[in-house]
Amino acid sequence: MTLVSPTLRDEITANMRAAKARMWVRIKGGNRELTHYIAEVVLPVLTIGAYVILYKTLGLPPSLGAAVIIGGAMIAFWTNILWNMSAQWFWEKEMGNLEMYMVAPVSRMSVLLGMAMGGAINTSLRATGIILLGVFVFQVPFQVHDLLVAGLVFLLTVISLYGLGMVFASLYMLYGREAWHTNMLLQEPVFFLSGSYFPTIYVSVIPVWLQVTATLIPMTVGLDAIRRVTIQGQGLMAVWPHILALIAFIAILIPVARMALNYMENLGKREGRLTLRWQ
Amino acid sequence: MAVADFLKSARESFWVGWKVESNWADPVLFATYRIVQPLASLLIVAFIVIIGASTGTGLQRDYLARLIVSTAFFVYVAQITTNMGWLVHTDRSRYEVLKNIYISPGTLHPYIIGRGLVSVVNATISVIVTLLFSIAVFNGILNLGIPINLLSVNLLLLVPTVLLGVSGLIAVGYMLSAINIVSNRLEFILGESLAGIFFLLGGVIFPVTALPSQVQPLSAILPITYFLDAVRDSFGLGTTGSALLDLGYLFLTTVGIGIFAYAVYRKAELRAKRLGLFDRKSEY
Repeated sequence: MTLVSPTLRDEITANMRAAKARMWVRIKGGNRELTHYIAEVVLPVLTIGAYVILYKTLGLPPSLGAAVIIGGAMIAFWTNILWNMSAQWFWEKEMGNLEMYMVAPVSRMSVLLGMAMGGAINTSLRATGIILLGVFVFQVPFQVHDLLVAGLVFLLTVISLYGLGMVFASLYMLYGREAWHTNMLLQEPVFFLSGSYFPTIYVSVIPVWLQVTATLIPMTVGLDAIRRVTIQGQGLMAVWPHILALIAFIAILIPVARMALNYMENLGKREGRLTLRWQ
Repeated sequence: MAVADFLKSARESFWVGWKVESNWADPVLFATYRIVQPLASLLIVAFIVIIGASTGTGLQRDYLARLIVSTAFFVYVAQITTNMGWLVHTDRSRYEVLKNIYISPGTLHPYIIGRGLVSVVNATISVIVTLLFSIAVFNGILNLGIPINLLSVNLLLLVPTVLLGVSGLIAVGYMLSAINIVSNRLEFILGESLAGIFFLLGGVIFPVTALPSQVQPLSAILPITYFLDAVRDSFGLGTTGSALLDLGYLFLTTVGIGIFAYAVYRKAELRAKRLGLFDRKSEY
C-alpha cells in the first residue's frame, strides 16, 4: 500500500479547515458563559471610570476621558493576546492537547491563525461593550468623520497585535510557570508605554527616547491613530504614517512568528519539553 | 496546642507558596518581575498628573504625593486579591491537591492564610521598592519636589495600619477562596473584579468625595478606604482629619469583613462537601 501525497490544494483546504475549527472552539468557548462576558465588559469600565474621575479631579478636558475609553477597549485586546494567544500553548500543554496539535496533519500556524481570528472576534464584542458602556456612563465626546478610515486603522491595529500574539505564542511554547509571570510583566508596562490611559507619543512631557520605545509596540501606533480619527475627527491625511507603520508591523511579525514557531517546536522536540506538565 | 498546630501548618503552607511563586526563576529575575508591574502602575498615574500640569493647571505636588503613596500601597490589594482569587483553582484543577489538603489534619484554613502571606511578603517588597523608586525619579531625576519624606514616616501609625489592612485583605482573599470552591471558572474574574472595585471606590487615585454621591456610602464600608487614608496619614499626607479615627474605622471594617468571610467560608464548605466539589476538575 502506498501513501498518496496531498496536493497543494488539499493542504490549503486542510489548513483553512483547521483554522476555522480552532476559531470556532474559541468563539464558542469564549461566549458560553454570560458571566464572563459581563465581567469582561464591566471590569475594564471600573478602571476606566477611575481614570475618567482622576482627569475630572485634575480639571483636564473631557476628550481625555474619551481617550481613556478607547484605551480601555484596546487593553481588552492586549489582555486577550497575552492570556489567550501568548500563553495558549502553555494551557494546551497543561491540558494535554499540545501533542495532538503536533501530530495533526496541518501547520501549527493555521492553529494560531484560528486562535487569533476567534480571539479578535470575541474581543471585538467585548471592546464594543466597553466603549458603549463607557460612553453611556461617562458621557464623553466622540467625533468620527471618516468611518472607513476608522475601520481600516482599527483592523490593521488588531491584525498587527495578533501578529505579535502569534510571535509570543511561539516564544512561550516551552514556558512553564514563567508564562504567568511573563504575562503579568507585560501588562502594566505595556499599558504605560502604549498610552492606554494617557497619550505617550507627540507629548512634550514624555522623553523622546521613551516615545520612540513606545512606538515599537503596535498598540501605541494603533491607539494614537484610532484616537485621532475617533476623538479629534481627523482623516486619512493625519494617520497615513500610522497606517504604513501598522502594515510594516504585520509584514514583519507574521513571518517572524512562523520562524519562531518552527525554532521553538524543534527545540522542544530535541529537549523533550513539549509534553512536560506542571513546570 | 491547636494554635501551635495552626501556626505550623500556616508556616509550611507559606513555604510551599513561596516555592511555587518563586522557584521558576533565579532570584534577580524573580525580583525584577515582582517590581516592574507596580512601578508601571505608578508611572501611569504619576504621568497623568504631570501631563495634566503641562496643560496649564500647574503641578499639584501634594496631590501627586498622595497618589504615589496610595498607588504604592494598593499593591497589597492587587496582589493579595488576585493571587488568593485563583489559589483554589490552581490547587484543585492544575495540581489536583486540594482534596488532599482538605482531608489533612491541618485543614484548609491555615493553608489558605499561609498562601496569602506569600502575597503579603511579595507586596511588601514591591511597596518598598516602588516608594524608593518614586523618590529617586520624581524628586531626584525630575526634581519635582514632591513632599514625601520616608525618614519622617510615623511608624507607630503605619505598622498597625499595614497589619490591620493586610489582615482585612487576607480575609477578603479567604472569602474569594471559599467562593472559588463552590464556583466554576470564576477564578480569573473574582480577584480582579474586586481589585477593580477597590481601585474605583477606595480613594486610590482621587479623593472619595470625587465619586458620585450615590456610590460614596459603598466606599465608606470598605476597609481599603480607611487603610489608604491611614497610610496617607502616617506619611503626613492625610486630608480626612483624624488618623486615629481612620485607624478605628479600619479596625471595625476589618473585623466586619473577617466575620463575613468566615461565614461565607463555612457555608461554602458545607455546600462543597454536600455536592462533592473539593475534587471537581474544570477545564476551559
